Amino acid sequence: MSDHADHHNPGFIQKYIFSTDHKTIGIQYGLTAMLFLLFGFYLMIMMRWSIAYPNEPVPEWMSFFLNDTWKAQWLQNGKMPGETYNMFGAMHGTIMVFLGVVPLGFGAFGNYVTPLQIGAPDMAFPKLNMASYWLYLVGGIIMCASFFLPSGAAKSGWTNYPPLSFFADTQHPNQWMTGQTQWLVGMVFLITSSLLGSVNFITTIINLRAKGLTWFRMPFLVWAMLVTGFILLLSFPPLEVAGIMQLVDRVWDSSFFQPSGLYHREIGLVNAAGGGSPLLFQHLFWFLGHPEVYVLLLPAIACVAEIIPVNTRRPLWGYKSMVYGVLVLGFLSFIVWAHHMYMTGMGPAISTFFQTTTNLISIPSVILLTCLIISLWGGSIRFTPPMMWACAFLPMFGIGGLTGLPLAFSMLDLHLHDTYYVIGHFHYVVAPGILFGLFAGIYHWYPKISGRYMSKVLTHLHFWPSLILINFLFFPMLIQGMAGFHRRWYNGGDAYVVTDPESANVFGKVVAEHIDLNILMSTSAWLLAVAQLPFIINVLSAWIWGKKVENDNPWNATTLEWATPTPPGHGNFTKEPIVYRGPYEYSRPEVDEDYYPQWQAPVKPKAETNKDA
Amino acid sequence: MEIPYIVNPRKDTGLTNSKIAIWLFLASEVMLFGGLFSAYIFLRVYADYPWPERALPVLPGLINTFILIASSVTVVMAWASLKLRELTKFRIYMSITVLCAGLFMVLKGMEYNAKFHHQAVRLNDYAVVEGHLHPHEGLKGTEITIEAETVSIDLFKFSKSYYADFSAEWDGKLQLEKALVVDGEEIFPAGQAISVDMLSQAKELFINNRANNAEILEDKLRQSWKFAKEETPGENNRNAERKKLQNDKYKELVDAIPAGDLKTAVGSLTFKATSPIALHIDPKKIYKSASDKEGDSGSIVLNDGTTLAGTMGNSDIVLDVDAISFRHTVMQAEKMGIDPEAAIANSWLLKDEGIKTLWDNHLIVVEKLEQHLLEEYKTKTDANGNEVAKRVPTEADRYRMGWKEIVALEELQKAGKDLHDLTHQEIQDAYPSMTAGFTGADHKSGKYNFPKLTIPREQVLFESKFTPAWNNYYAIYFTMTGLHGLHVIGGAIVLAYYLFFGTGMYRKNPEWLANRVEVGGLFWHFVDLVWIFLFPIMYLM
Repeated sequence: MSDHADHHNPGFIQKYIFSTDHKTIGIQYGLTAMLFLLFGFYLMIMMRWSIAYPNEPVPEWMSFFLNDTWKAQWLQNGKMPGETYNMFGAMHGTIMVFLGVVPLGFGAFGNYVTPLQIGAPDMAFPKLNMASYWLYLVGGIIMCASFFLPSGAAKSGWTNYPPLSFFADTQHPNQWMTGQTQWLVGMVFLITSSLLGSVNFITTIINLRAKGLTWFRMPFLVWAMLVTGFILLLSFPPLEVAGIMQLVDRVWDSSFFQPSGLYHREIGLVNAAGGGSPLLFQHLFWFLGHPEVYVLLLPAIACVAEIIPVNTRRPLWGYKSMVYGVLVLGFLSFIVWAHHMYMTGMGPAISTFFQTTTNLISIPSVILLTCLIISLWGGSIRFTPPMMWACAFLPMFGIGGLTGLPLAFSMLDLHLHDTYYVIGHFHYVVAPGILFGLFAGIYHWYPKISGRYMSKVLTHLHFWPSLILINFLFFPMLIQGMAGFHRRWYNGGDAYVVTDPESANVFGKVVAEHIDLNILMSTSAWLLAVAQLPFIINVLSAWIWGKKVENDNPWNATTLEWATPTPPGHGNFTKEPIVYRGPYEYSRPEVDEDYYPQWQAPVKPKAETNKDA
Repeated sequence: MEIPYIVNPRKDTGLTNSKIAIWLFLASEVMLFGGLFSAYIFLRVYADYPWPERALPVLPGLINTFILIASSVTVVMAWASLKLRELTKFRIYMSITVLCAGLFMVLKGMEYNAKFHHQAVRLNDYAVVEGHLHPHEGLKGTEITIEAETVSIDLFKFSKSYYADFSAEWDGKLQLEKALVVDGEEIFPAGQAISVDMLSQAKELFINNRANNAEILEDKLRQSWKFAKEETPGENNRNAERKKLQNDKYKELVDAIPAGDLKTAVGSLTFKATSPIALHIDPKKIYKSASDKEGDSGSIVLNDGTTLAGTMGNSDIVLDVDAISFRHTVMQAEKMGIDPEAAIANSWLLKDEGIKTLWDNHLIVVEKLEQHLLEEYKTKTDANGNEVAKRVPTEADRYRMGWKEIVALEELQKAGKDLHDLTHQEIQDAYPSMTAGFTGADHKSGKYNFPKLTIPREQVLFESKFTPAWNNYYAIYFTMTGLHGLHVIGGAIVLAYYLFFGTGMYRKNPEWLANRVEVGGLFWHFVDLVWIFLFPIMYLM
């Protein structure tokens, strides 16, 4: 009760490292997540080399900092062998999803913005909040450190399907010290972190709302965080179950996911009890795996929903339908998981069910996106840095969503399953979709966090190349995927190419027609990395040299986070905020300014006083 | 600003922060155990082996059930005492709660311990034998014996701790087979005795040389591509001419490397035994093995890459048998369309005289049971109009004999009674009581005699202690009860914290401690509830 008041003047370590303040924790989450994103991006840069130039050694600018011993083990005279590619691929996926985007969206924005927007002094459980961050960091470090184990890091895809993952790293003196096991251990840490986080978020939103902040006066971001919290709370435990069961399989030799009579090329008949089911793992995995997509998406779409009204100077169109939409989306996200499993032979009846629910879930998604697009209509749009990203988010996420529809149908999925089409689809959702939304968020709240604006020039240098290159990176994937390129080819299809026009191998000829897109895509990926430099420079330099904000509400916004001092101190608000109205009251006739903040006490309506005159 | 609603509930929600949080946490716990219960159902429904039914000793589970229920009551009493501001009573009730948790874990530990010492063997014909291991010929458990003549060590995977497991047995007996000569320099002469230092040194040399070579070859590969690209501008890497140019150039460059620049990287060292060394190897350490049969020439690859070659030794499993089961044999026979009775009759197990007698007696017991059921429950008319018994012995009754039956038959035989003359009830009366063998077959007290059986290793399809490895029933049993046990421990720690360190909180604001205990109590009820589900599905169904 009183321990919160005890540290008004904490020391450096308590203030910046083991902090219990939601803002510091939010920034910690953000910086850590961005470092992980950078690392995940780097893994992909190496992989894209192997795809575009499979027979050439990885260029020195990519690999100069790797030591010779590591290179001797994991590269083949400088070329990337399949095993290393698999390891990078598995870790790229894991890092991007679990260590990068979720912590950035939910961890960073959720932590920094949510308590401010609801007028709370902090999260409901500040110490728990700190624990969440540290569990996340430890889990992430455990996973990434396994690159330096003799076994290397996990190498069975981010989905870790058994029995493939069961065989990976089995021949090792100490099973605990293998990448594949460390992945599971790291995962248990990450899951625990998100569980604590989600309990904290939901409690905070339910109980710590400021006076007058009724449910339908909550900004959309808060709603999105609430739904994200529930998704994490309820969908992660089954993955934890799957992870624990796999751990038991690895360390205590059970056969949860190993069927009877399992045969391995090297070992022969596997000496295990058998009787397990790989399908069970897939069910448990995707019970999280699919809702996780919405965990990635909702914070990003929430950032965009906050930014659009501010920069169009008009209310969010269809706020209520967006709220109901996001609630329905949250619910439906729990019953679509098996659309990832059409090819497992689970039966047409089950496929049909999940095909139906999957198509249903596109309805709330479309409602959200449509509301955002209509919100632009008739607004006086200010193309501020965050607004540029928000505007790019809309069509990019639209492409990501629409390319998902064919995959929802079990018949079409027969052809598209596990091809680059799938990769293209979900990367459109995650990279130019979600990440652009989160970039928008960073540009939007940066002035509140630091008290300074980010540079406009650098923003343009970051935005335009990113927008163009990311499309050159991902659009060809859709084309290659329809041509049948498999998502796990480490040499980009080089082994399948048929150049002889007389050949009867049609597929080989199709591969030959599309394989050169690899070079275009890889080059775009590398240039995209360069295009992130202005952003990094911008974030760092604006902290010191950025233009100072004129007041606490530089964007003339209406939500509560702009009622705090800049940057907000410990406890956030100087006086207890009271909320008088909805979150997006722009261009109201009764006030002179074009915005009417939630915390501003009402003035006498102009219309009434004028009537008699 | 302070964080509100820590002790007093918010007006419109009527809840304190911690009350909301605990219900949310329990919701996620429901999903956690929900996932596990679903997995249990999935594994059981799709099991392609006989699911062990009522395989666990019921008594400890039953007692534990009452213990947990009692503790759920006392935790409420503890909370109520706080509400009535009676601190002493709170302490008493909370102490009982924490004690109950401890007792629960002790009983759980006894159950686990019994399983870790109970051996099961699945034979090639899917007959299953259970019992306690009988140490013999230097074998403590189910080790595989090999008379090793050569030992090859994978230098990259070589680890000191793994090596230490064997060093006592082979130190001084293993000598380097061939001299390790690297680029003309003799590092270790042939015949040098094995040692950790030697292996560590060789490992370092291997890793350094490999890195050295990789660096040089990478450079040559790079140069060859650069050359080929310059020669064929405007083409891509799949261009045949460019490929050829690159290939030729690479060969040329590699050939031109000055002698001595590329080092020999030796990744494994082979040692010869002065005389064959009998090594007993824990099966868990084995990656693959060519043969298990005694006398065969064999090779075993261990998890650290060490390869042992020589003659397979005696790896028989000797058991004091306390259960045999043909349920899996019958299941497999039915799958393959073989008569189950014939499959049992042909089983290797029945070639043993003692087991054969036991099984023949078991058949009489089943017959008596069948008669008994017919007399007790009479007959009914089935769909085809035939008169059939209303109740018949279950698969487990028919094809499995447990330790109590084995003991009872032995007692009856000792008493000189002929089974044919006895009724079902008389046979039943000879069974040990419910309390005998609290955690399973009683091998300790020496009261009972169990037949000894020697199983040659080549007859063994799979063997394990009753651990998660034995089958998925035990795997899910250990996983679920283990996780539940962790919850019990966690809950007990929290409750004990309130018991021992809650006084300060109480003095400041008694309602505060009451709130906390209420929240802890909710969690405790949940832990109890999980057990209420676990007990029947694991012990009774």
